[in-house]
Formats: sequence, C-alpha cells, structure tokens
Amino acid sequence: MKKKHLNQKQRSVLCDILAVIICCIFLFPMYWIVVNSFKLDSEIFLHTPTLFPHHFTLQAYKDQLGALETTLKNSVIIAVGSMALALLLSVPAAYGLAKFRIKGKKILMLVFLVTQMLPASLVLTPLFLIFSKLNLLNSYAAPILSTATISIPFVVLMLRPGFLSIPDELTEAAEIDGCSPISAFFRVVIPISKPTVITAACFSFVFAWNDLAYSMTFNTNAKMRPMTSAIYTFMNQYGTKWNSIMAYGVLLILPCVIIFVTMQKHIVEGMTSGSVKG
Amino acid sequence: MKSRKKYAFIGYLFVVPAVVYMLVFIGYPIVYNWVISFQDATALTLRQTNRDFIGLANYTTIFADGTFRAAILHTFIYTIGCLVIQFIFGLAFALFFAKSFHLSKPIRGLVVISWMLPVTVTALVFKFMFAQDSGIINAILMNLHLIQKPIGWLLNGNTAMGVLILANSWVGIPFNMLLLTTGINNISKDVYEAASIDGASKRQQLFKITLPLLRPTIMSVLVLGFVLTFKVFDLVYVMTGGGPVDATEVLSTYSYKLSFELFHFGEGAAAANVLFVCLFVVALIYLRTTTKEE
Repeated sequence: MKKKHLNQKQRSVLCDILAVIICCIFLFPMYWIVVNSFKLDSEIFLHTPTLFPHHFTLQAYKDQLGALETTLKNSVIIAVGSMALALLLSVPAAYGLAKFRIKGKKILMLVFLVTQMLPASLVLTPLFLIFSKLNLLNSYAAPILSTATISIPFVVLMLRPGFLSIPDELTEAAEIDGCSPISAFFRVVIPISKPTVITAACFSFVFAWNDLAYSMTFNTNAKMRPMTSAIYTFMNQYGTKWNSIMAYGVLLILPCVIIFVTMQKHIVEGMTSGSVKG
Repeated sequence: MKSRKKYAFIGYLFVVPAVVYMLVFIGYPIVYNWVISFQDATALTLRQTNRDFIGLANYTTIFADGTFRAAILHTFIYTIGCLVIQFIFGLAFALFFAKSFHLSKPIRGLVVISWMLPVTVTALVFKFMFAQDSGIINAILMNLHLIQKPIGWLLNGNTAMGVLILANSWVGIPFNMLLLTTGINNISKDVYEAASIDGASKRQQLFKITLPLLRPTIMSVLVLGFVLTFKVFDLVYVMTGGGPVDATEVLSTYSYKLSFELFHFGEGAAAANVLFVCLFVVALIYLRTTTKEE
C-alpha cells in the first residue's frame, strides 16, 4: 500500500515536470518577443542569440515613438468602436434568441455559426468596392463596420446559453412591477449577466484589435493604419530591425495578455462556447 | 410562458438589428462577390455603375493560371498538415492534462493564450525565430551539431510550408486540446469506475471508452479545424507573402493579390468564391454532424 502511494506521488511529480516543459515550449515565442524588444540591434545579430538582454535598453521603443502614437491611437479607436457596435447588436440578439419565440430560430443560429467560419477574403473585394463608393476608405468607419462582423456571431453564440439559464420568473416579476420587456432587459438581465457580457466585450475588443486583413485593405493611408498593419508595413521596409518589430509586438500583445490573465476562466469558457455552438 | 407569447414581437425587436447588420455587411457582400466575379471589374472600371458582364471569363482565367492551381494544392497541403499535427498533439495533451496532478489545470488554462494573440505577431515572431541569420532555431540546431550551417527556412518552398504549419500549430494544438478537453470532461466518471471494477486496464479504457465516446467531439473538432485552417490569410501573408516564388501561395492570399495588388477585382472575387465553395462543402458536413449530435 505504501509503495503504491509513493509511486503515485512520483508519477504526479513526473507529470508536473512534463507539464512545465510543455508550458515553457508554448510560452517561449511570447518570451522571445518581449526579450528581444529590449535588445540592441547589435545584440540580436550576435552569433549566439542571448536568452536575456545583456544590455537592457528601451531604444527600440524610443525609435518608434512617433509612429507608435498614431497607430496605437488608431488601434484603440477601431477596437473600442467595433466592440461598442458589436455589443449593441449582439447582446440583445443573444437574449432574443434565448428567451423569445422566434420563427426560424434554429436556422438563424446555424447562420450565425456558419458566418463565423467564412473567410474575410470572401467579403474583402465586395466590401472594398462598397466602401470605395461610399467614400469610407481610409476612415475609422470601414474597419469598425467590418470587424464587428467577426464579433457579432461569436458573441451571440457565446451569450445565449447564459441567457437561457436565467429563470423567467425574474423578468416576469420585473414586468409585473411595470417594466416593459425592454427595460427588464436593461435593468434585470444585463446586471445579472455582467461577467459574461464583460467577457463578450473583451472578445469583441480583441477580435478588432487583432484584425489585419480588413484594416490593411480599407485603410492604406499611413495615418489611418492600426498597429497590426503598421507593423506589417514596417517589417516590409526594415525586414531585419527585429528589436523594433518586437517592440511593436509587445504593445500589440499587451492588451490581449492583460485581458487573458485577469479573466482567464471566463475567456477559456467563452472560447469553447463561442466557437463551437450555442 | 404566456407572457412570452404575448410579447413575441418584442423578441424580433431584439434579434432583427443584428440580423439586418449581418445581412448588409456579410450577406449582401457574398452575393455581390458572385456578381463581381462575372464582371469585368478592374481598377479602370472600379467606380463605374454598369460594369460589363463577361460570363465565366474570370473563372477560366484563374483556372488557366498555374499559380492559382498550385495555390489550391498548397491550401490543402497546409490544411491537412495542420490538422494532423494539431489533432494528434491536441488529443495527446488533452488526455495528458485530464490526469489530476498539481499543475494540470493551471498549465492547461495558460497555453491557450496563443489563441488570443494577433496572428500578425505570431507570424512575425516565428519569422524571427526561423530567420537565417539571427534566428534562434538555427542557433540551437548548430549548437547541437544537427546542422553545419544556418538554414534559410523561409527561403525554401518546402521548409517554408513546414514553418507555416508549425506556427499555426502553436495556436491550433492548444485550441484543439481545449475543445477535446470539454468532450473528455463530459464523459461520466461512472463509466470508468464500472470499467475498472470489471478489470479494464488504462489502455483498454482509452480505446474502448474514451475514444468511442469522444467520437462526436472529434468529428466536430476536425471539421471546425479544417474550416478555420483552410481560410488562412494573415499568417501566410505576413510570414512568407506566398513566397518563395509562390511556393506557399494559398487561395486567400492569391485572391488578395489578384484584387489588391493587380487590381483584377473580378478574378480576385472568383478566386475567393472557389475558396468559399470548398469551405461550404465542409461546413455542410459539419452541420450534419452537429445536428446529429443533438
């Protein structure tokens, strides 16, 4: 009995070690982004790459300061705008699909599921022509309007199960107290669903923040570019200025990492329910 | 329930705005894309309201183009390569992390972070790690004396495709693991208990219980994986730009080039439709499997 116990303990330790190794391998690329953003050019081109910056410097960040200011501002405006628009449309839709009798509900859910799988390439050309006609190229509207289409289906599918589990008695009680169904939605449903709605907001923000295809296509003017397409253009011009490229990279992954770390549990749950089915 | 019926029209009030939005910005463009693909749409005719319809000319042009046919092949090679790697490792990790040891849950939760990061950055850091001069992969391999001189991973067609698959797996493996873990957790513990009372070994439990009961999950993971991988754009566009010499050109990058580098919008739209048809077939299979599941 004692021997078996020990074996189990040893096995568990072995598993822990293996898990740490897996974790290190998977987190290494992120570590590499951060470390190299603090190096000088000369250190990056050493024969043997250094695992820690021997000469810690913020030079790469300082070099890009001017360009960063505009592109960072653009990224924030696009991501926040897209998030607000996506939530405004998808939170009520998820609630409607969860709690009301709607004709063709099943088909609508399938359509949302399928829209999610569509490639951006499919709508890039037509949207470009449409936005060009409406004079929306090189504006904040073009990337905001297009990236919201990524978040809306995801958020609808992600939020619906949570809304389904809200007991009808709650909203009915509010309606008896004189609330209309719409004000019951805002006063009762939204407040008790706060954690999942915040998670949905995070996803919408990140989807728009991470977008390259739409913003690169619609906003070709350097002053209107968000960070993703700015970093791409920068790479094409200065292919080997890796420290500057990685400095951009750090700022780009920073909000995603902060969101992930602070609300990991909700995010991981949302990833499954949003991308598979509601 | 009665009050719900009475207010049914309010339900539509909640749902309709999102549906209309998606119809305007996704539904209409999809239809418009088919229209453009039959038109003589180039930079010159961009702002014309009545573009000439030229039948299937755009389709015959792209199918006569060797690069386009190669792009179809590359897309399939890339997708199948990614699917095999991310499914095998994803399943192995899911089974491994399903064991209860101290760090199983925290580490399982941590590695999926790659899914949240911009693909642009993923592409750039892999490009950097596999760079010929300053890449850490060459440095490690040379230190281990596995290679004599630095390899230009992204300068050779075959290795470039390999690196693309690897970079995608960095996101794909944890994501597959997450979806498969959900499936594994849904299998009742009682089944395993009963099996071990009957004397089933761990290996028998894996092949006779876990895998058969996981079948529906595995099916949807594979099909979802196919669809999400097949439409790859950012990763290829940033890492190789379809190069070297079109060796990693995929359908979405080629469609993009036709539309926005050559300004042959009609051909770009046609290429995107070919991508769409491939995905549509697989999506149909996916829907059949998920509806069966219910």
